[in-house]
Amino acid sequence: MSETDSGGTDFRARAKPRPKGNRFEDMHEGRVFEHHWGRTITGGDNAAFTTQTLSFCPLYFNEPYAQALGHPRTVVNPLLVFNTVFGLTVEDLSEGGGPFLGVDECRFAKPVYVGDTLIAHSTVVGARESKGQQGFGIVTWHTVGTNQHGEIVVEFKRTNLVRRRGDAT
Amino acid sequence: MSLTGATNYFEDFVVGDVVRHARGKTMCEQDNVGITLMVLNTAEGHFNEDLMQRTGMGGRGWNRRLQFGGVTIAMVIGMSMQDTGENALAELSLDKIRLKSPVFHGDTLYAFTEVLAKADAEQPDAGVVTFKHWGVNQKDDVVFEGERRVLIKRRSHYAR
Repeated sequence: MSETDSGGTDFRARAKPRPKGNRFEDMHEGRVFEHHWGRTITGGDNAAFTTQTLSFCPLYFNEPYAQALGHPRTVVNPLLVFNTVFGLTVEDLSEGGGPFLGVDECRFAKPVYVGDTLIAHSTVVGARESKGQQGFGIVTWHTVGTNQHGEIVVEFKRTNLVRRRGDAT
Repeated sequence: MSLTGATNYFEDFVVGDVVRHARGKTMCEQDNVGITLMVLNTAEGHFNEDLMQRTGMGGRGWNRRLQFGGVTIAMVIGMSMQDTGENALAELSLDKIRLKSPVFHGDTLYAFTEVLAKADAEQPDAGVVTFKHWGVNQKDDVVFEGERRVLIKRRSHYAR
């Protein structure tokens, strides 16, 4: 057995944590985050999400029905558009920990179709201390989701408790 | 034959009416973990049971995986959809969305809706309805509330 393969414990001792996410101190008003990854919405995503949430409107799972109402393809469920754009923001904005409190002024600006790709960016619009919650601040972001043509498809303001640095949990 | 219901056109909504929607839904791993990761939400409090048992989310006593609020929002609005959006042409907006209590795997959600307002749309074949939605768990705690505006077909233009 080699020195670096000492019964499986050595890798733990040598490992350095690689944490993700930001904290309250990183959230100054006006800071812009261009979020990672983007996400192409497939027909499978849309049908699974729509049926699993009992979202029974045929625009989201019946292509000829959507086409008869003037759409080129099946419409992506707007709640999936919202959730995907939200999801793309999480590592930058809220993975550091703290409950999601609410959303205001969410506007669905343009339909999204199966095969479209969503991209997200956010701006910090408010950051203040939390009086009731030790170790947290309250942050509001304006998040914008665009399609692959750069057109805005959804925008909203989200508010979270965000953990401060120095809180080990 | 029509693919959508005959009792949820724009003309059918009456301001002040409150509906308790048919069908509750028990939240499971497929709902929370599945949708959280499908939408690339990387917050592990939604999918790491060990972490939650050890930390209890900073002393809140939330020592189980917490359902992502986006899933709760989509589920409650989804449960209302047949009654409030089956004949929609478009979802327009959401506002004043508040997550009032945590949701965990095994909780059962029910949806309620009030018709807050009705207005003409720019297009003649549809109108705009403003709804207030509530999501309630099996203990009768309100877990979600929020407003939603939907562009809904007029019977006069679509029904036959």
